[in-house]
Amino acid sequence: MQREAPEGPNLLATARDALLTEILPKLSGTDAFTARMIANAMAIAAREAAQNDVWVADMRATVQRLTGDAAAPDRAFAATIRTGAFDPGTTHHAEAAALLRQAARLRSAISAPRVLGKG
Amino acid sequence: MDEARRAKLTDWLRGATGAADLRLGAMSLLSGGAIQQNWAVDVVLAGRDEAWVLRTDNAATLAVSLPRSAEFALLKAAFAEGATVPEPLYLCEDTGVLGAPFFIMRRVQGIAAGHRVVKSETLCGGRDAAVRALGRELARIHRITPPRADLGFLGAPPVDACLAFVAEQRAALDRQALPRPVLEWGLRHLERSAPPPLPPVLNHNDFRTGNLMLADDGVAAVLDWEFAAWGDPHADLGWFCAKCWRFGSTYEAGGIGARDAFYAGYAAEAGSAVDAVRVTWWELAAHIRWAVIAIDQAERHLSGKEPSLELALTGHIVPELEWEILNMTGVPHAA
Repeated sequence: MQREAPEGPNLLATARDALLTEILPKLSGTDAFTARMIANAMAIAAREAAQNDVWVADMRATVQRLTGDAAAPDRAFAATIRTGAFDPGTTHHAEAAALLRQAARLRSAISAPRVLGKG
Repeated sequence: MDEARRAKLTDWLRGATGAADLRLGAMSLLSGGAIQQNWAVDVVLAGRDEAWVLRTDNAATLAVSLPRSAEFALLKAAFAEGATVPEPLYLCEDTGVLGAPFFIMRRVQGIAAGHRVVKSETLCGGRDAAVRALGRELARIHRITPPRADLGFLGAPPVDACLAFVAEQRAALDRQALPRPVLEWGLRHLERSAPPPLPPVLNHNDFRTGNLMLADDGVAAVLDWEFAAWGDPHADLGWFCAKCWRFGSTYEAGGIGARDAFYAGYAAEAGSAVDAVRVTWWELAAHIRWAVIAIDQAERHLSGKEPSLELALTGHIVPELEWEILNMTGVPHAA
């Protein structure tokens, strides 16, 4: 057995299209602003649903290796950056920088794909 | 506003103006910010029609924003210095009148909405004339320097505004639920590259497109003074020029005009050149500051205290700010 189609991403996209093409043209002022916000929220939710989130675990493993902290690697990473231990010239500077860029790319792909030249 | 409040307001205004025959006309809620409410108020005073704005607190007030009495004092100081602000008229700190303190200022006409301002080729005499004029406005504001008895609520200026900024943002991150490695990365970069301190000036601290009302013939008003503080003058220059406040426009000065024209207007009024390296430092600071504010706003939604689609979406601005912070700190694009 499987879920009934169309599933979530298709429904979100179809509903968003109806909002933008059928409802929004009839609105003005704060109502139009709210409708655009709703459309934006639906687009973010659809991109999130479509993204494979294996990267979250992969990245956590890398951070854990860089910081040596298994319990709260992200917190340890942030705290270590603050101490200057990943400054330019340090052993793991390039690796830390690449990891931050990769995380920012994956996070922006959901929240703000236009900064990546998409969406 | 109900009749009982209108009656109380009328009585109070009669006392404040000394005009026993003052009549209160139409009142309508203007599009206000997340923090304040602004009402357009029409009155007849001594037989003359007057157009005013009543500014009061909204239900949700940010802890970091200044009270109305302080904003009133700042407007008075800026007005006296020749900055283009709505003329502040009367302050009421008695919460018995409207339930919260409020003040009255003269109503000005113009366009402030960021997405409209950055698209206009003609407002304020055209793009470069607009940013030159805004540069001059900012230089006038920066002529206000400590100590000032009337601005005592601002406290003592920081010994080093750059390092104080880094410390404040770190403290704000420590209060938040999740660690933010990219913001830490940006703050560490700022700490390493902080320029030496300058004599402090009054920072508007939210001098950006969206808070600057422009008319066809010039700047109509510099609005929203609730974040003002003593600091480095370049903090305001950087906040205005930061990419995150250009509303999608390619013009580097607030999305409105050329950076050189903005600097030229500022320098002409200030009598000294802009230090571009310092402005760059503060542009990175601006991205971090906006990200920290956005995280706080999303938290207001997530906590259930103030469910709001607008606050929820503000949180989703953070990843693109992080992207830009990495660009500004020289992190390569290739993973």
